[in-house]
Amino acid sequence: MKHDLQKPPASSFERIEIDSSHAERISKPSLSFWQDAWLRIRKNKAAIVSMFILAFIIIMAFVGPMISPHDSETQTITHANLPPKVPGIEKLGIMNGVGTLAGKEVDLYEMKKVDTYYWFGTDGLGRDMFSRVWEGTQISLFIAFVAALIDMVIGVAYGGISGYYGGRVDDIMQRIVEILYGIPTLVIVILMLSFMDPGITAIIIAITITGWIGMSRIVRGQVLKFKNQEFVLASRTLGATDSRIITKHILPNILGIIIINTMFTIPTAIFFEAFLSFIGLGLQPPDASLGTLINDGYKLIKFQPHILLYPSIIISLLMIAFNLLGDGLRDALDPKMKD
Amino acid sequence: MKNSKLVWLLSLLLVVALFLAACGGDDKETKDDTTTDTDDKDATTEETEVAADEEQVLNLIMTAEIPTMDSALVTDAVGFDLLNNVNEGLYRLNQENIAVPAISDGEPKVSEDGLVYTFTLRDSNWSDGTPVTANDFEYSWKRAMNPDTASEYGPYMMAGVIKNATAISNGEMEYTELGVKALDEKTLEVSLEKPIPYFLSLMSFGTFLPQSEAFVTTQGENYAKNSESLLYNGPFTLAKWDGTGLSWQLLKNEEYWDKDTVKLTEINYDVIKETATAVNLYTNGEKDRAGLSGEYAMQYAADPELVNELETSVFYFKYNQERNGEKTPLANVNIREAISKAFNKEDLASVVLANGSTAAYSFIPSDFVFDEDGKDFRDVNGDMAVFNVDEAKAAWEKGLSELGVTELSIEILGGDTELSKKMDEYFKSQLEGNLPGLSITLKEVPFNVRLDLDTNQDYDIQVAGWGPDYQDPFTFLSLWETDGGNNQMSFSNPEYDQLLQDINGSLALDIEARWEAMAKAEKLIVDEEFAVGPIYQRGLMFLQKPYVKGIIAHPFGGDYSYKWAYIEGK
Amino acid sequence: MTKYITRRIFYMFITFFLIATATFFLMKALPGSPISSASKLSPTQLAVVEAKYGLDQPIPVQYAKYMLNLAQGDLGNSFQFKNASVTDLIIDRLGPSLILGTQGLVLGVTLGILLGMIAALRQNTIWDYGSTFVAIIGISIPSFVFATFLQYWLAVQWELFPVALWKDGWMSSVLPSIALAMGPLATASRFIRTEMIEVLSSDYITLAKSKGANGFEIAFKHAFRNALIPLVTVLGPLAAGLLTGSLVIEQIFAIPGIGEQFVKSIMSNDFSIIMGTTLFFSAFLIVVIFLVDVLYGIIDPRIRLSGGKD
Repeated sequence: MKHDLQKPPASSFERIEIDSSHAERISKPSLSFWQDAWLRIRKNKAAIVSMFILAFIIIMAFVGPMISPHDSETQTITHANLPPKVPGIEKLGIMNGVGTLAGKEVDLYEMKKVDTYYWFGTDGLGRDMFSRVWEGTQISLFIAFVAALIDMVIGVAYGGISGYYGGRVDDIMQRIVEILYGIPTLVIVILMLSFMDPGITAIIIAITITGWIGMSRIVRGQVLKFKNQEFVLASRTLGATDSRIITKHILPNILGIIIINTMFTIPTAIFFEAFLSFIGLGLQPPDASLGTLINDGYKLIKFQPHILLYPSIIISLLMIAFNLLGDGLRDALDPKMKD
Repeated sequence: MKNSKLVWLLSLLLVVALFLAACGGDDKETKDDTTTDTDDKDATTEETEVAADEEQVLNLIMTAEIPTMDSALVTDAVGFDLLNNVNEGLYRLNQENIAVPAISDGEPKVSEDGLVYTFTLRDSNWSDGTPVTANDFEYSWKRAMNPDTASEYGPYMMAGVIKNATAISNGEMEYTELGVKALDEKTLEVSLEKPIPYFLSLMSFGTFLPQSEAFVTTQGENYAKNSESLLYNGPFTLAKWDGTGLSWQLLKNEEYWDKDTVKLTEINYDVIKETATAVNLYTNGEKDRAGLSGEYAMQYAADPELVNELETSVFYFKYNQERNGEKTPLANVNIREAISKAFNKEDLASVVLANGSTAAYSFIPSDFVFDEDGKDFRDVNGDMAVFNVDEAKAAWEKGLSELGVTELSIEILGGDTELSKKMDEYFKSQLEGNLPGLSITLKEVPFNVRLDLDTNQDYDIQVAGWGPDYQDPFTFLSLWETDGGNNQMSFSNPEYDQLLQDINGSLALDIEARWEAMAKAEKLIVDEEFAVGPIYQRGLMFLQKPYVKGIIAHPFGGDYSYKWAYIEGK
Repeated sequence: MTKYITRRIFYMFITFFLIATATFFLMKALPGSPISSASKLSPTQLAVVEAKYGLDQPIPVQYAKYMLNLAQGDLGNSFQFKNASVTDLIIDRLGPSLILGTQGLVLGVTLGILLGMIAALRQNTIWDYGSTFVAIIGISIPSFVFATFLQYWLAVQWELFPVALWKDGWMSSVLPSIALAMGPLATASRFIRTEMIEVLSSDYITLAKSKGANGFEIAFKHAFRNALIPLVTVLGPLAAGLLTGSLVIEQIFAIPGIGEQFVKSIMSNDFSIIMGTTLFFSAFLIVVIFLVDVLYGIIDPRIRLSGGKD
């Protein structure tokens, strides 16, 4: 066969130099998972505001007791049960030291001849509530963080293993969980009293002893849901190891739920701690936490609302901030939300 | 996205749901109206009550359920309180809190050695119409000593009092040998182990109430299971009690021998444990009386309806002298003295507790026992262990140098209620402030844990309390007998033990000498040995509607009597 | 599936048995005694009382006896309420707790789901923040404070509902149910929001959208069903928690429920009530967890329970 092809003119081609450096260039900057998350969370105003509120509260928890003119433990019995009074603001008609006594509105500072200012008022033993509230915040935050962290670590590991391996492993692990669920926590907690001294360690142990179960159940449920999904199957077919599947494929997908649940652990821990204090396993006085302050304060709600008010405001702020931040984090960390 | 529509839909749904919930409320409210209409009886009785100004109904609050109504088994305040109102023993505390003959027809005959009492019973009936007989007493007391009954207060109250009770409770004798005997239908003979000066006041106590043998044996296992399986011989009968429930009723007992004195026809009880709720119900007019805990007492301080009542319970520091086989710093009398005197009791009672309690300067409470001239036992010794920083410091220095140390760390074991926590914090701040070199650690645990620590003597200082079981200082003094059941603090003093021996032995019939011996014993433990440090005598504050009259509070046994209570001016 | 269910039922009995055993021995290790005036009695006197209740026997013997009775359905007698059988007590007290728990749960979860869906569909808008706010208030104000408020305003001030007590039928249950609903409301709304957002961005929703499914269909038919999984998971324990955990609410509204009784029993070492209540709750819990596991399969066909890792 004769090939009689007309040779195209050389001019119709243009020679291009291959620039290897060019090939490597990516129009978008390369971002790590966390950088990417940060970029996205920055756009979320609520999350950013929350971050500032949290930072403020945490700083105040440490600075607050220092800037207050009164110590949190000094009991000045003659100054008991004073309402808040703040210089400057008092002229506005609020926080001016006026409280109800026997049904009448009186300036209690004048009546008791107190010439100093208690910004958040005082409690029944004449202690400065401002210092107590911030020191309480410190303790509450510490307990909540540690408890939430431990819950998360144990819960995710346990739930993950149980859900991922399934079968007999799952069966046994879940039965253990059911048994732990079944035994009343209070019995265990009181039992701990007989061989542990009350205090922060005891509280954290008591909170975490069954606290992680909820997390593990949720993680297990999520893992069950994801482990048979197409992208996991695909990855497995390609020979990915279990640990790779768990860390790279399943974990990022369930991170949202884990964060949300951890956010819930924090208030639960704070209130469980208050409950423990109530039955005697909790903090030993004069230490106080937000939970115990609220516990003490709610009975005085009608006559001395300030004792309940400030710890409640702080706890609510903390919770709202944690949750909005959690929402933001969740959105930011979701692999499917990548731009 | 069509989401916006959906969001509206969902929020609409939410609003509708809320609206429906609200409507549901309305709906029920109207229904409620109709029920009150059909329940005309209730509505009208209430109206007449307001209008006619005579309806003798009292609405009360209890803070705990009734654990049992079996007089052999009862151990708690609620049980004793109700038993006192639905049953009657040989004696009853009257309006002046003096034990007077009740089922006993006049004073008993007492043998010369004070060991045998012969009671003649008045004619009176059980609520089913059968007569109350001497055998009912014999049966009931023996039942309380029967090991099968497993009564706690039976052996506790009778041992050392009724003949053979000690031997029976130690299992050395049959319970049938108890020194109580029905000579005939109406004559009861009681033999004592030794002369007991306060024996007649004991006869008003719940454990010594009668039980109808015929009724108890017919009911068998079901006896005292609910208000139907009980018989009553007191001013009231119990009704609508299911054995564990949170509400019940007392109705006037038409079979009661003194029923003409009883004015109330009905008392309605509800168990309410939360003070706020009790106060709300009181404000609403649903309840006629509401107890106030510390915080509330303060808030209602100027309320005209506030009533303050001093109880006969005393709270004190219990100084443990030996812990885990080793002597504690509190084995040193000077250290004990220093601590007893180093905190301001007046401030504690009026500011920290603020519930009507008063500072205690003695171990025997005031308004509890009086001599024949009406002089309070409390006044014999005057104020002891008074707050005095200088004396406390001097004793402290002396104690420290005797121990050869400059610093001490001591633990205070307290309860887990809010009030006791607040109090412990006050102790810590006062004691540490007034006694240089002292550091206090607080330990606050639930009641059952505290009991356990007490039994094992595993504490330094315990904030403890004691209420009397009979009207005699001995109920307090007997606690600190060497190796006594309650003496979990290794206090031992031969002189004190001898005094206790004499009080219920050689001096039992010599009222004056006995009185002095008891005062001496009290001084010994509070002001010389400082075995315990009195803190406060508990007070109670409650709101009471002004139309409620004649409720009598008692220093021991049942808390209140409603026999003489009535409503006026509602 | 049948094989799976039979096996699970068999396991349920074993779990139940183990819980009973563990609770029994833990309780025996608790400090204190159920004999309320133990400290007033001499050792010999105390021994008589203990013998009556069989407390003098070695713990393994007590255990064997308890288990034998349990097998016959006998939970024994209470210590604090002399003469009261534990079974009767639990039955008496359970009613109000069940009513409150169910009402609180249904109310809370329903409102929570609605709030959560609104938040998810309008992510990062004022709707979202508003719903978050409501949910957070629900958990950051302790239920007893909330209950006190409700009682004071709605009952004492406005007289809409009874202040307390269990005497006005359904009306008595309104305030406690609302107070109890706050927890589930918060939990449900948060979980639904999170899951919905996740599901809404998944491929099959995109597919459904491109096929022209309307918002309603997407939200309810596709997204909601998938979002239910984590909610169902927490619902079981939440339900059990509402039943036992309503202690404070029951106390504030003076309701004869089981939660309050349970804590009191633990504090007074009333073994038989603690055991009885624990067993009852664990039975409830085990069944709920079992149902939840089965529900997984129904809600999400992709979940294979019986399957191992392959």
